[in-house]
Amino acid sequence: MKLSVNGTPRDVDPSRSPTLLAALRDQLELTGAKLGCDHGECGACTVRLNGDLVYACLTLTAACDGAAVQTVEGLADGGTLHPLQQAFITHDAAQCGYCTPGQLLAAAALLDQRPHPTDDEIRTAMSGNLCRCGTYPKIVTAIRSVADASGASATRADAPPSATGDAP
Amino acid sequence: MSGSRDAKSARFVQTIVEVEGRTETRIVEVPAFEPAPWTADAPLTIVGTSPPRVDAFEKVTGRARYTADTVRPGMLHAVIVRAPIAKGTLTSLDLTTVRTLPGVRGALGPGDAPSATRLFRREVSYAGQPLAAVCAESLQDAERAAAVLEASLAFDRVPHAVTVDDAIAADAPLVRRGGNATEPTIVERGDVTQGLADADVTITREYRTPVALHSALEPHGAVCEWTGDHLTIWESTQGIFRVRSDVARALDLPQGQVRVLKDYMGGGFGAKNGAGAHTYTAALFARALGAPVRCLNDRRAEQTDSGNRPATVQKVTVGARRDGTLTAIVLDALVPLGVSGWDGGPAQVYHEMYACPNIRTTETCVYINASGMQAFRGPGYVEGAFALEGAINALAHALQIDPVALRLTNLATRDDRVDREFSSNRLAECYAEGMRRFGWTSAVPPRPSTVSRLRRGRGVAAQTWPTGGGPPAYANVRINSDGSVDVLTGTQDLGTGSRTILAQIAAEALGARLDAVRAVIGDTERLPYAGNSWGSMTTPSVGPAVRMAADDARTQLLEAAAQLLETPVDRLTTRGSQVLRDGVAARSFAELCRALGKLQIVGHGSRGPNPALAVVTVGAQFAEVEVDAETGIVRVLRLVAVHDAGRIINPALAESQLHGGIIQGIGYAVFEERHIDRTHGAPLNANLHDYKVPTMADIPAIDASFLDGADPAANHVGARGIAEPPIIPTAPAIAAAVADALGVELCALPLTPWRVLGALAG
Repeated sequence: MKLSVNGTPRDVDPSRSPTLLAALRDQLELTGAKLGCDHGECGACTVRLNGDLVYACLTLTAACDGAAVQTVEGLADGGTLHPLQQAFITHDAAQCGYCTPGQLLAAAALLDQRPHPTDDEIRTAMSGNLCRCGTYPKIVTAIRSVADASGASATRADAPPSATGDAP
Repeated sequence: MSGSRDAKSARFVQTIVEVEGRTETRIVEVPAFEPAPWTADAPLTIVGTSPPRVDAFEKVTGRARYTADTVRPGMLHAVIVRAPIAKGTLTSLDLTTVRTLPGVRGALGPGDAPSATRLFRREVSYAGQPLAAVCAESLQDAERAAAVLEASLAFDRVPHAVTVDDAIAADAPLVRRGGNATEPTIVERGDVTQGLADADVTITREYRTPVALHSALEPHGAVCEWTGDHLTIWESTQGIFRVRSDVARALDLPQGQVRVLKDYMGGGFGAKNGAGAHTYTAALFARALGAPVRCLNDRRAEQTDSGNRPATVQKVTVGARRDGTLTAIVLDALVPLGVSGWDGGPAQVYHEMYACPNIRTTETCVYINASGMQAFRGPGYVEGAFALEGAINALAHALQIDPVALRLTNLATRDDRVDREFSSNRLAECYAEGMRRFGWTSAVPPRPSTVSRLRRGRGVAAQTWPTGGGPPAYANVRINSDGSVDVLTGTQDLGTGSRTILAQIAAEALGARLDAVRAVIGDTERLPYAGNSWGSMTTPSVGPAVRMAADDARTQLLEAAAQLLETPVDRLTTRGSQVLRDGVAARSFAELCRALGKLQIVGHGSRGPNPALAVVTVGAQFAEVEVDAETGIVRVLRLVAVHDAGRIINPALAESQLHGGIIQGIGYAVFEERHIDRTHGAPLNANLHDYKVPTMADIPAIDASFLDGADPAANHVGARGIAEPPIIPTAPAIAAAVADALGVELCALPLTPWRVLGALAG
């Protein structure tokens, strides 16, 4: 069975790896997508399948024949980091880093769909990716910085309250 | 600065060291020299700045390899089969059939593991207890075989007790030989009877806190590989040396034959402090089968049997005079540990938080038929502070005194528990800065209207936590022949950033460029000893050892440079990986090291004894919540945190630690609770769907900051620990805000909708 993984044609055997996550990690040795729960609860295995976000642990390998898969290993453009990767570095948006590949792909999919999301839209779109280290505020900042740097400014009518001073 | 030890001074002395907030007296080595402390106004240029994590690139590109990603040639996969019942005896299991299944290479059951591993016993004392294990060529084969084996298990069941109330009932089944309750630990100062008699107002409450699960995204796991009689272990752990000693003891091996490696790990939070069932299982199969073996917990095992923060029942009485002066604090606590655990109970913070002359705490640990507790970020203090701070807030309300003003009236000016002065304690400044940032007004607000559906409230709570760290910790700093620098120390980075901040400390002390310095950590065989990364102690323990090693290396480099440059050493300094003569760059480290040929400069450092002072990190947090009186949903709107941890090595990374603690604190306050079915004794929410940790959508605006400064009396780097303090006051601050919003106190966590609605219904 053939897959296009990060732009490269790859062969996988679905009988050896029922889930896309196992196929990526065990057959293709792409360990960027992480095993956190194997039940679609944590988001550490998030990858893009034909552009859509999926939990690779819940995606059957056999259903992916001919599909284009993007993992964190395919996010950089050659030697140039994706702007989100650079922003995650700059804003310290990875603590232990285990959830980071999934967070990056979820963020990339969000910005592809909505280049200028509000902070509430970011929080909602990213809420399928758990981070037990509590890096969330910096992930929002990192995504916000990439969105803000990409041209037209967003309307932020629903911007969240500041932590300081009077609440709205 | 380098020099021989004064022949008359003792090489070994007694000092107080900390482990997870508890203190012990130990013999420690006095270093040959100690650098002069970096004072608050020391002109530092790398320490105190926020360069990105040195390993951020690996983390954002997927190149960081975690234990769960480790693959060895010919590696097999092991799966542990666990008890579905809480108490009884395993009467049969079919290992024979399982050994014939496709791909299966081995199976282990009762009697097959050394007794020191405590694995695979027939007597079951909690659901989730390891009973057997299978090993196969693929994880799929191993999981299939494990399911077959699980179906073959048969038990004689006997009654269990999975709640504290069931375990202390008169007819309770015996959880442990020797009884279900330990002898109470009573710690007292002053005379609480007199203190209560002197009080104008007394408040008594019973608080209940839940069992909370660490829920690290990377489960516990190990890869084990034998080369002859030497065992190499890749383990997701907070303590490589402790895993080594655990395994050496359990398998009766010399420590030198066990090597433990840890590069990246996906969170620990206190649950990964030593070897576990997965480690022993992988090691035993690997030895028996002559192949590397990986054994990882699946999520159910991780949420069932990998440690937890134990529940507590805390009955608290506080007494005070009309002006708010505390006259007595009394705690009676029950702590259901599970089937095992240490006394990580809630009492200690009661003795440290306030200047009160009369305090008595009574803690009774209770064994229940559930997996044993492990340290969990701020163990004991998180539970204790919820009740103590709750009682203080209730007292403030009863006295109609602002809760911050009440706390300032009773501020601890010394640590009466250990009878020591503080190295520094700027909690009053934390309150002031937090009030300013939050917009806290000192007037006592009236309890709100009870007619509106959405009700807002504000609350405050504070924390203390011992963060002095201590010896032993060792480091070497090696200058390579191209001028690059390796910092070698056997510590580990859980995601806190220790790899980064240790490189910053070394670069600062050595006068090297940060990008020329690399911290090499996580290998018991090739690195000098450092202790577990627990108790917020890596920075104050390992940091000074690294600084001393870098100072030693710098001294040697300058002595060599003095010869090469034919210049007295006192005219030479270092900066930016250059040696400067009279302040002007003369040679780069690279040029100097080339000229030195194969001579290698290695500086040695060790952590010296602690001062005879109490070293604590303190802080205050202010929360605003909105409670929906119809649905019972608590929404945290904003949170302001101000902590003082002495010198902050990397403000951006330190802020991330505050965020992490606060967000786990929000989970503890509002969402998180392990449920075990009382009748069947099995966990009901052992996954990440039903055990609810906060998501990004649950997080309010957080303003987390530190006071500027340093604590040179604590250690010569001037830094204290920060990882655990921020989780401690979050839940009581949120609970106070909910009480303020509703006019009703909720004394049990988490503040779920049904608890809120129950409280409103009276």
